[in-house]
Amino acid sequence: MQELYKQKHQLWLSVLFASFAINDETIKSRLYDFSTIMFRHMKWIGQDILAKGSNYNYDRDMMLYRQEKVFPILEDLQREIAQVQKLYTTEELFFRIKSDEKYLLEYIESLLNNPQNNQEITAFNMQRKWPDNELAQDQIDALTLFLFDESYKEYELILVYAYMQARTNDVVQFDVFQDLIDESYFHLKSFGNMMAKLGILALPRELHELTYVVKDFQKFIKDGIAEEEAAKEMCLELSAAIKDEELSKFFDFINNQESYHINLMQKLL
Amino acid sequence: MFENVKMPEGMNPEVLEHLMFPKNYGKLDNANGIGLAHDEKTGEYVIFYSLREDEIIKDAKFATNGCQDTVVIGSMFSEMIIGNDTEYAQKAVQKMHEKLGELTPQQKVCADIVFTAFIASMINYENKLEGKEEEMHVLKMKESCNGEQK
Repeated sequence: MQELYKQKHQLWLSVLFASFAINDETIKSRLYDFSTIMFRHMKWIGQDILAKGSNYNYDRDMMLYRQEKVFPILEDLQREIAQVQKLYTTEELFFRIKSDEKYLLEYIESLLNNPQNNQEITAFNMQRKWPDNELAQDQIDALTLFLFDESYKEYELILVYAYMQARTNDVVQFDVFQDLIDESYFHLKSFGNMMAKLGILALPRELHELTYVVKDFQKFIKDGIAEEEAAKEMCLELSAAIKDEELSKFFDFINNQESYHINLMQKLL
Repeated sequence: MFENVKMPEGMNPEVLEHLMFPKNYGKLDNANGIGLAHDEKTGEYVIFYSLREDEIIKDAKFATNGCQDTVVIGSMFSEMIIGNDTEYAQKAVQKMHEKLGELTPQQKVCADIVFTAFIASMINYENKLEGKEEEMHVLKMKESCNGEQK
């Protein structure tokens, strides 16, 4: 089951990052929706593993291939889905999951049937040009570092909160974790799409178990609050440094969300 | 070789490559030396895995929950030492320390946590050779990534 969990984790990331990489807004949006379904599959498989008295981890063994066109990305997804489906059993859960994936495969097939969909991929070209406005090099550098730091952090938070949510029977904790997961997912989406715009899209690095197996819950939450404070500070600094009204507004908006995360986390203490 | 090592003083293509694709990142299942450098104040850690055959470092990997500076330095440092002997690795630590003047205080702390984890992995290897039962060797950091004194 751990192998299945690992492959499902990887498939979730593949679909999510395909949505970031592809410029076409319709395809991007559809794949993003599918990624949220894949994330729920991962959650359900994790619950099933725990219910059977076993355990799972967040180990990964994947690369994000730097494709230059849309079709190779879609073909990679087809192969990955076919691979993971070999591991499903006849249980009800997998009937549901296979049905979702069948629909995704049909959608991918429909995209592949139209050559106009095979557009250029610019997400990996390392150009680091902000398409909406001309930013000075130091602003681009600051934005680049921020996006690498924060995309990892949001991925980390999604997985850490999901790990803890799967192991709590406390309704308040469950609810707060869900809010934090949803918010971090939105932040990861925002930052992933910005990285793709800059041509620096990359997978967040793998989580080590020291990061998500929490031994001291109170300390973990207090450290988390301190991290949210630091993230707020980074957003404020970036907002002040970047001379782009839309980006500044966006970072102020993220900053206010981080502020409320602190309130949410304080409910856990 | 050391002369060609570029530290992350600015966003050059080499640094960007290490950011996008960190080298030797993750767990090393057959490691015979595991070291953990831990900052209790911030919760930041670097875990360093090394596989030694006598004095040669055959393989190395690292993982961290730290910032991107830590990742870039860990990626560069692990690339430098793999395939070399421990004496070379110690020189690599020293050589990279000499370059720390080019870094901000925060980046210097990030470099230190990587080197400390590496040293802890060497201590773990030696301890195991002496017959001690130790899953990993842990060293606590004196300074935090935010550059403040503890």
